[in-house]
Amino acid sequence: MDAKTRDDLLQLFQSKLNRAMTYYLETCTRCGVCTTACHVYQSMPQAKYIAAYRAEIVRRIYKKYFKGQGKVWPSYGEAKELTEMALEELYEAAYSCTGCRRCMVYCPFGIDTQMIMSIAKLLLVGAHAEPEILTLLADTSIEKGKSIEFFKEGFLQGVKNLEQQVVEKWKLEAEGKTVIPVDVEGADLLYVALAGAHSIIPAAAVFNAAGENWTLSFFEAVNFGAFVGDPTKTKLILDRIVNEAKRLKVKEVCICECGTAYRVMKQLSGKQPFEVSSVTEVHARYIREGRIKLDKSRFQGPVTYHDPCQIARNGGILEEPRYILQHLTDDYREMAPDPRYNYCCGGGGGLVALGEETLDFRMKSARVKAEQVQKTGAAILATACENCHTQLENLNHHYKLGMNVQFLTSMVADALVI
Amino acid sequence: MSNAIQADKVMDLKGLPCPMPVVKVSKGIKEVEVGQILEAQTTDPGSLTDFPAWARTSGNEIVDTIQENGVIRIFIKRNV
Repeated sequence: MDAKTRDDLLQLFQSKLNRAMTYYLETCTRCGVCTTACHVYQSMPQAKYIAAYRAEIVRRIYKKYFKGQGKVWPSYGEAKELTEMALEELYEAAYSCTGCRRCMVYCPFGIDTQMIMSIAKLLLVGAHAEPEILTLLADTSIEKGKSIEFFKEGFLQGVKNLEQQVVEKWKLEAEGKTVIPVDVEGADLLYVALAGAHSIIPAAAVFNAAGENWTLSFFEAVNFGAFVGDPTKTKLILDRIVNEAKRLKVKEVCICECGTAYRVMKQLSGKQPFEVSSVTEVHARYIREGRIKLDKSRFQGPVTYHDPCQIARNGGILEEPRYILQHLTDDYREMAPDPRYNYCCGGGGGLVALGEETLDFRMKSARVKAEQVQKTGAAILATACENCHTQLENLNHHYKLGMNVQFLTSMVADALVI
Repeated sequence: MSNAIQADKVMDLKGLPCPMPVVKVSKGIKEVEVGQILEAQTTDPGSLTDFPAWARTSGNEIVDTIQENGVIRIFIKRNV
């Protein structure tokens, strides 16, 4: 690595050194409590999968370049140079961590390994050593934001073609309303979906059944800038939705079943003239207010729920999905030991988006998740995140769990009493 | 059936979860020669904005889009 590249990368490192990050980098006592907290380590017990080990790769570079002792006496301070080999280690650390933060809830000091891994990811971006496909997906999202006027007509036609499916299944044509409204100024709620019809059709049915004054976003919710760890791209992708919400003067931005999308919008959009909610929160509210009713007999067999890390542990939404499930089943089985300590599905942090490239690792590293799910004896495994759903389907197939993996939103839509 | 462009490779991406359609097309486009056509078949309305944006980003070109019977057929010419 040449000196200029290293200097540029160290400037990126410096940009991440706020007060919290400095605390995380200077505090670890290597007590080892985090060791078995990580689902990857539990499934594949190798030192490189210990949260503190992952963090140590970043920490040693920090000691070398940002601490006096590391600069003067590197061997004593266990300082490490930023080299090509260090970048390879950073890659393995960053992309074997799903950012689930289970280690953080066990750490007596609350050290946030995901935050430390954000340095690793940023250095990889700076060195053009990140997974190329994640950057391409982020750039595609940004391009869509710049050129939406060129793409609007096709999207509107595509959405129009979905309306009949909503009407056929949920019989909403009698009200004479637009079944999937798009670009409606003055709507109360802006729903930000994913590209897939499965993310739009059931949600539309529920919004219409609840009599919501809603509109569908032109943009997809997911933020690939966050997956790849590029703060600039994360903000550009986020701003598309923020600007759309402001233009339409909505009161609420409702994020579909996508964990990262929800966390990024909720925690990184700053103070805005609208509330941010997850679709799970909105559905729980509709039930509580009597705006929708669900038929409990719609689903047969015991049901369990996988808490998406970015929505539950990192987003605080734990009660709402359980409240919804109370209205969908009389046989709910909680995963042990506790929702706050639920295992990650093993697909977060961009791993699912990397597709078949990461499939073998995702299956091996999430063995404990498969076991946790299986122990519930449930027939239906519900979740509220696209990433988790894909990974859980993969686990279902790989470990022959024989479960029916469902989106919570689809269950709500299917159980609607119209 | 419309008079569609003859594709050199067809990818069935119907019903795939996010972001697999774009991920798979990014790989699939490398399996045709420069100047050849890849046809992506999807059912997702988001593809109608995602694919043109991806094409602009990756330097490829959408040469036609057909929506029929609930299926979206996007014809992509490999330019790079």
